[in-house]
Amino acid sequence: MANESDKPKAREIDCLEAFDHLYAYLNNEITDQADLANIEHHLSHCKSCYSRAEMEQKLNQRMKHAGETPIPASLQDRLNKLIDDL
Amino acid sequence: MPQASELKAFFSARIAENTHSLYTLALRLTANAADAEDPVAESVAKAWSVIGSLQDRQRFRPWIFRILHNRFISDYRKKSVRPAETHYTELDKGEDSEQVAQLLTQQPDEFLLWWANPEREFTNNLLAEDLIAAIDSLPEVFRTTVILINIEGLSYDETAEVLNVSPGTVRSRMNRGRTLLQKALWQHAKDADLITASR
Repeated sequence: MANESDKPKAREIDCLEAFDHLYAYLNNEITDQADLANIEHHLSHCKSCYSRAEMEQKLNQRMKHAGETPIPASLQDRLNKLIDDL
Repeated sequence: MPQASELKAFFSARIAENTHSLYTLALRLTANAADAEDPVAESVAKAWSVIGSLQDRQRFRPWIFRILHNRFISDYRKKSVRPAETHYTELDKGEDSEQVAQLLTQQPDEFLLWWANPEREFTNNLLAEDLIAAIDSLPEVFRTTVILINIEGLSYDETAEVLNVSPGTVRSRMNRGRTLLQKALWQHAKDADLITASR
């Protein structure tokens, strides 16, 4: 089990650098532990970037629901027939 | 070598699971319900005809999304189903090395001020159709990236596979696409008086 001392020490980054990593962070795409530590540290003390991150997260949730469009019956029928005929 | 019946059962199940996702992508690429059906049905037929090219069954989603996306690129855009507002070469120019500062400095000051101080209730006031309209307003390369990642939940690696680009390009398109999306939402919110007028 990793302890606290194994974690990379966070470097101070500015808001532009934080923005560069923001979407990767929100999409769980940051694999570099140093980058992760840096943005988490920045978000912990920058109110503006924290608010931005919070809003982007909310927007992500809203987008998932906004994409929920029912499949037209005509398309479903076509696909059912296509699958039956394989 | 899988049995034909086993392969058919696998394919049928994956199509059933992904029909909604395929239709969502087609709908957002064409922005027209009537035009979205053919690409989905044709892509499913195409996918079955090349099922042997699916080397890893765990990658079924990016594999079939790529077939649909290629279908759209090769056929539907040429037919101008949707106005060809996208010029790939221009949008992709210098994409991988794009500087964040440059991206932001291209935005109006009024937007930047708001961008740095977002109003908490802003997203709550947005309707689903506002979001869809903003997504549809994005140039195609950014629209597809945002849909695949933020609506369909694909990883950057999977999205890179669909779009045949590097994960770094996906990351760059995500940053740029989301900034443009914010700008479109901000403009809409401003026009509709959803944000404070003094900003």
